[in-house]
Amino acid sequence: MAGAALAEQLLNGLTIGVVYVLIAAGLSIIFGVMDVINFVHGELFALGAYFAFALAAPFGGAGFWVALVVSPLLVGAIGMAIERLTIRPLYDRNPLYHILLTFGLVLVVADLVTIVWGRQGLPFSPPPALSGPISIFGFTYATYNYFIVGSGALLALLAWYVLTRTRFGLIVRAGAQDREMVRDLGIDIDRYYTLVFGFGAALAGIAGVVLGAYQGIDPSMGSSVIIPAFVIVVLGGLGSFRGAVVGGLGVGILQSLTRVYVPFFEGLVIYLLMIAVLLVRPTGLFGDPEWNADAETDAGLLVGRAGGLLDARTRYRLGAACVALLALVPLGAGRLYSPFVVTLLTDVLIWALFALSLDFVMGYAGLVSLGHAMFYGIGAYAAVLSLLHVDGSAPLALVVAVAVAAALAWVVGYLSIRVSGVYFAMITLAFAQLLYNLVFKFDFTGGSDGLFGVDPYYGLGGVGVRLQEIQVGLGAVQITGDGLFYYVVLACVVGGYLLARRVMGAPFGSVLRAIRESETRTSFIGYDVTTYKRRAFVASGALAGLSGGLFALGEGFVAPSLLYWLRSGEVIVMTVLGGMGTLYGPMVGAGVYVTFADLVSSDVAYWRLVLGSVFVLFVVFVPRGLVSLPATLVSTLDRGRGGPGSATDARADGGSLARTEGDEDEEKESGSASEATR
Amino acid sequence: MKPRAASIVTDGGVDAETNIDAGTDRADETPGADNTAVVGEGETSAETQSDTADPDALRTEGLTRRFGELVAVDDLSIAIPRGEFRSLIGPNGAGKTTTFDLITGALSPSAGRVFLDGQDVTALPVADRVHRGLARSFQITTVFGGLSVRENVRLAAQSVLGTELRPHESLFRSTASFEPMTERTTAVLDRVELRERADEPARALAYGDRRRLELAIVLATDPQVVLLDEPTAGMSAEETRATMALIDDVLADCTILLVEHDIDLVMDVSDRITVLHQGRELATGSPEAIAGDESVQEAYLGGVRE
Repeated sequence: MAGAALAEQLLNGLTIGVVYVLIAAGLSIIFGVMDVINFVHGELFALGAYFAFALAAPFGGAGFWVALVVSPLLVGAIGMAIERLTIRPLYDRNPLYHILLTFGLVLVVADLVTIVWGRQGLPFSPPPALSGPISIFGFTYATYNYFIVGSGALLALLAWYVLTRTRFGLIVRAGAQDREMVRDLGIDIDRYYTLVFGFGAALAGIAGVVLGAYQGIDPSMGSSVIIPAFVIVVLGGLGSFRGAVVGGLGVGILQSLTRVYVPFFEGLVIYLLMIAVLLVRPTGLFGDPEWNADAETDAGLLVGRAGGLLDARTRYRLGAACVALLALVPLGAGRLYSPFVVTLLTDVLIWALFALSLDFVMGYAGLVSLGHAMFYGIGAYAAVLSLLHVDGSAPLALVVAVAVAAALAWVVGYLSIRVSGVYFAMITLAFAQLLYNLVFKFDFTGGSDGLFGVDPYYGLGGVGVRLQEIQVGLGAVQITGDGLFYYVVLACVVGGYLLARRVMGAPFGSVLRAIRESETRTSFIGYDVTTYKRRAFVASGALAGLSGGLFALGEGFVAPSLLYWLRSGEVIVMTVLGGMGTLYGPMVGAGVYVTFADLVSSDVAYWRLVLGSVFVLFVVFVPRGLVSLPATLVSTLDRGRGGPGSATDARADGGSLARTEGDEDEEKESGSASEATR
Repeated sequence: MKPRAASIVTDGGVDAETNIDAGTDRADETPGADNTAVVGEGETSAETQSDTADPDALRTEGLTRRFGELVAVDDLSIAIPRGEFRSLIGPNGAGKTTTFDLITGALSPSAGRVFLDGQDVTALPVADRVHRGLARSFQITTVFGGLSVRENVRLAAQSVLGTELRPHESLFRSTASFEPMTERTTAVLDRVELRERADEPARALAYGDRRRLELAIVLATDPQVVLLDEPTAGMSAEETRATMALIDDVLADCTILLVEHDIDLVMDVSDRITVLHQGRELATGSPEAIAGDESVQEAYLGGVRE
């Protein structure tokens, strides 16, 4: 009996595993050939299911079969369009930009899906011929599972055959080795890239149809499958087809067995597995160690052209003016504009600090952390736990938040920094997801409800004041508790910025910048690169923890969503939007993003679509971010006029911070009392 | 160059020199030329010489690196006396770059050891070897393109002068406030005549200037031993002459190991030459001896000559 139960679980696992293989194989091929980390793959998978739903209805009983053929073709076509229109211009850039771009596309596609098909789940079932159980050797099991396993295995075999035994596969593999060489042989490699992307997308589409009929269709199916798919690809080794197959089946079976036999580890086990594998074999199970060597020579990150147009003195004055202006905001709240402005700006400032912390490692040391929300989230949880169980002191809670986040960053950094490039991004993502899933498991973290009911006072050892009890009045001007908290946040953010700036101007920071330029060269002039990166990571984690702690103090609650990977994605978006490697750029980016998201989300239901589109355009056309926009414009204009000045030595007025100030003003005027959705 | 080497070379070095000068029949007498004999010899010398002054600034013992089936560097034992200008030549794929990678620590050897100044550095990471006086210039210039010329040099100076920094200084004190680093940076920039361009981003430099900057970075780390990987690649005859003159000038006190394809140049500047062929040491000797060596001519000069 136990044997039969085990066999059933194995088959369940195999069923899911085969679907994973199809998704992961597409991801892996796309990475192997084009070095593109395709975040939108999950959404393509979901599209496969939705197209199937739309196609199946008119055809009745044969609907499923029509969908199974046509839907993947449609998804493949969409994949090719995506490659052609958005990814192709970015091939020469660092793989980070592919991550960013496809992340933006996730927002776009996901919202398009909900616009067309709504937010509700949809029913979709296998055709009558495949439903119902079947008995083989006295063992009864669902026919459809056998169908999935059989057809999936067949497709995987087909894909393998195409890649290894056909001329198409040969060219594609050669192109993965050396793109230029293949082009010099007179082969239009770009066309093959488009086809490969379409092929990978079609595989995801098939997986979507098949799994949609198995589990039903809902809008979150894309975002829930993409992370396990990445885990599988990384586990097996990026670019390795064999790795995708072994990883996919292994993860499917492991998940299925864990769910039944050790439910506590459900949702944790795959991340633990991935972390363990990467620590032992930094390039995955079947990964080619040469990939890492390749990554080293890749094009660098495009940092913001900070202050290209203004001298240091002017920039200093503008910065001071911005802070002064921000400091005045609470004085007018409730009289000149709605008190909501203060709430919104508090939100902006907290995000700005979070973005600053990411810039510290990403913009300076070149460490792309895809799981930075874990430090923000852990800071928030630590602060609330301290308030609930240790003492209600807010400063103490912030200290605890910083300390816990720094400690976590030390652990994660210690384990992760030995793996490089894309693998580093993925391992941080895995750690963040691990933590996200962990907070659901424990009582002391409040499970899925999170924690709330804190009542912080500002002081130590029981002596202090509660902000909400104070009213500071200066004649007509009244500052409420929210206003006072705003000042607390402003002080922390300005302090954090000044500190970070100081560090970047000191020997430590100068080495980080060197690391971003060239890691190899930095070690060849005598710096222990790994140690520098680890220390930077701890500092960054501490800053992120501070920002999380401030969030907890302001909102009075924490929830698991603080740790979700989409939040990590959002902060990366802000950082790039503003212009990384400038410290203030990401803060501007946070201001624009948060304000924009807030304004748009109150008027437009599908704000992610708008935001995602804007972001995609930014990644393609303005990769150096908002702060470099003026310098870029001036240099373009100069070139147009045939003028001699390049962006770096042009000394025009106006300039980047004028733009910055404009953005901040915009934030201040946005007084519409809409609900903050984040 | 040669007079300098002769004046600096210590007793042991002179010994080796005499052996080498014997030319083609050196193989039976000279340690460092015969691969099999050297391993045993080297081990004893490592034990006896590690705490006394080693005449060799750089020495490898049985250095081997395999990539799967391929043996890129095969049981290589070379010894370079202090102050010598040594060149490493060989056809493409002879293992020159891999040898550099093994000496600098970019790759770890499958077998064998590397000694700097008599100290075994085989287990040390790249950065630690730099602090022991080993510097490398790259075949493809890898200056920090986004940073200013001055910052490129200053970072190198900071690496060797900043080891005593307290944590708070390293974290919070402005880089401009460290006098010794600033002084060395300026001195080095003067030396390579890049001072006028110090505030330009390094990637804006012309090719020749970028190679000078590469040299400036090497110089700023105050090296004892410098590995030069084709420092004149892609240069015109005139630029090559100027660069070699500059190297001769600014690196006069250093022990140098040069990888170079230009045979005439190598013959001109080297004190001694080591020829690699298929990862093995084929011959070591003075330029004249190498030019007259039949096995070298057969394997290299007569064969694939770039």
